[in-house]
Amino acid sequence: MIMTSNLSKKYNDNLVLNIESLDIPKGQSFGLVGNNGAGKTTYFSLLLDLIQPTTGFIKNNEVLVHESEAWKPFTSAFIDESFLIGYLTPEEYFYFIGELRGQNKADVDALMAQFEDFFHGEILNQKKYLRDLSKGNQKKAGIVATLIGNPEVIILDEPFANLDPTTQIRLKGIIKDLAEKKGVTVLISSHDLLHVTDVCERIVVLEKGKIVKDLATSEATLKELEAHFAGTETI
Amino acid sequence: MIKHFLNLEWKQFIRASYFQKGLAIKILLIFAALYFGGIAIFAGIGLFFILKKALPNVDPIVSVNNFVIYWFLFQMVIRYFIQQLPVMNVKPLMTIPIKKDTMIHFLLGKTTLSFFNFLSLFLFLPFSVVLLFNGYAVLNVVCWFLSIMFLTLCVNYLNFLINKSNTAFYIIAPTLIALIALEFYGVFAISKPIGVAFNALYNHPYLAVVPLLLMVGLYYLNFKYIKNSFYLDDTISKKIKEVNATDLSWINRFGTVAPFLKNDIKLIWRNARPKQVLMMSFFFLFYGLIFYTQPIYKDTPAILAFASMFVTGGFLLSFGQLVPSWDSEYYKMLMSQNIPYKQYLESKWYLMVVAVTISFVLSIPYLYFGWHIFGMIAAGALFNIGLNSFITLFGGALNRVPIELNVKAKAFSNTNGFNPTQMLIALPKLLLPMILFYIPYKLINFEAGLIVLALSGVLGIIFKNYIFNKIVAIYQKGKYKTVAAFGEKN
Repeated sequence: MIMTSNLSKKYNDNLVLNIESLDIPKGQSFGLVGNNGAGKTTYFSLLLDLIQPTTGFIKNNEVLVHESEAWKPFTSAFIDESFLIGYLTPEEYFYFIGELRGQNKADVDALMAQFEDFFHGEILNQKKYLRDLSKGNQKKAGIVATLIGNPEVIILDEPFANLDPTTQIRLKGIIKDLAEKKGVTVLISSHDLLHVTDVCERIVVLEKGKIVKDLATSEATLKELEAHFAGTETI
Repeated sequence: MIKHFLNLEWKQFIRASYFQKGLAIKILLIFAALYFGGIAIFAGIGLFFILKKALPNVDPIVSVNNFVIYWFLFQMVIRYFIQQLPVMNVKPLMTIPIKKDTMIHFLLGKTTLSFFNFLSLFLFLPFSVVLLFNGYAVLNVVCWFLSIMFLTLCVNYLNFLINKSNTAFYIIAPTLIALIALEFYGVFAISKPIGVAFNALYNHPYLAVVPLLLMVGLYYLNFKYIKNSFYLDDTISKKIKEVNATDLSWINRFGTVAPFLKNDIKLIWRNARPKQVLMMSFFFLFYGLIFYTQPIYKDTPAILAFASMFVTGGFLLSFGQLVPSWDSEYYKMLMSQNIPYKQYLESKWYLMVVAVTISFVLSIPYLYFGWHIFGMIAAGALFNIGLNSFITLFGGALNRVPIELNVKAKAFSNTNGFNPTQMLIALPKLLLPMILFYIPYKLINFEAGLIVLALSGVLGIIFKNYIFNKIVAIYQKGKYKTVAAFGEKN
């Protein structure tokens, strides 16, 4: 589904990302981990054509991301709060996204009904603007908005940060469900190794812009990742 | 402590991403400042002699005193639109040991260095020196000069207050407008007693205490206002108002641009900053009154063409010039969503067209000034719809300054809608209608001027699609830069 080739990003001679090749098949739940500055957000930004690649390219479902905009209809993302429109209520925001993705009000309402327990009564019918919600609730709204319009690729940057434990557990269920049952390709990044190993079938470790590990998740994965990040790995 | 602040200011200034881009414009601004400063100095020197010649029976100082209120009024208005109010990122400073008072004094002190204060200094210092050379009493002149300077600072702090506090704005702005209207229509000439007051200031040097106290009072008011809003409660967690959503589904008939239009209407309605712009643009409607009533402009129709464009173009100019910036807070999302640039821009265009149309309907009372004037307004409206709107959108592509939409409630961010950079971009928008009208007017006649002005708009409408594609290409080209610049928070 997503094909990365020879991709690199330089900021004034400073190479922040350099991926020779990375293929993510359709329906995979893909996790990206790495310390700060490893290039996770850079990769996601390139995937969304928010920054220009220095070399190489990403193909999203055979569409060259930095040349065509044809990837937009089937891709959705929540990177940070700047993906929300602060002066709308959550409902209005969902309907707006729905309209952009060709969904009518009833479609959106039907989808929202499925997430009632995820919202925990704190999002819908609150008569509040998104800008007035807490960070965690903003995140909930942003994540659910990415599900509108049956996207085939969903990109979530640090989806677990700022969420309360109950919501974290529910979110894990949602992500697993998307990849396993609906064949959606889900890309997430996280600093929480436990969550990623729980949710993702494949985990890639980035370090200073390079892929240093590419693991199919198994029971040993969490241990291996912990050892890697603790620096006690035996070679 | 002050040293640290200055250091931070300097870094903020030179490290902003739009700085390099704006360097040429900054240099231009410096030249403009030098130019106006120079003019002020020469005017200050010449003022005494000019007045003496023009009104030989009146003491120049008396004439100055009689008219000096207009100077302050002019300063008030121009400052409201142009003066950059100090911005200080206060949140990171709150938890480190710096006295709040020090920060506030620094902030207010910074405004004292504004160019506008120096403009007064440049004008009145030479004038006072000339007075002294002509044998006016030293004590009187010095105290009078100091009074003028105190009053200039009063205007400075008053402007700060008006910009930061809604209450102050809603009290002061209508009062001023009412007084000006009374004066203008000869009901009550407020300038007379003010002239008397200024003369009293000159004749009784000890009265300089009054402006001094006024200034201190205003400073204290500002100080108190800022200090009160110095808590995170106020600046960060805003008062949460209950939403009452209006049903905008009737807009759906506009087709593909409908979702954007609905959003834009909410944008204007629910955010402090665009609301302010909307209110301001309403005042533009009265712009014509200033020009059409003055016999001086009867014979300079180019100026009238300019004024006529303004009557219907207020919203277009003030809202349109900040077009991508209005969406700066969530621009990344827009860029990764399923949104064609064209629809996004078209929605803004429709808004401007609707605003021009409404303004045009509201300007029907101008018929009172005759068909000539009204014809100009109509031609100006067509020009606005068909050409000015596109120029404005085009200018927007060059504008990469992020806006915080709902900042009016905060005391520490810049809420000014107009900034000098945008003014410079706006220059061609203002000059073009004059040129379009004036050349055929001079070569053929008045009607030809009107027709050319109107036709330029019609042509724009006919080639709308073509022009839009060009503008979209420019936006597309600047996309990455814009995303990066908008990502940078104040």
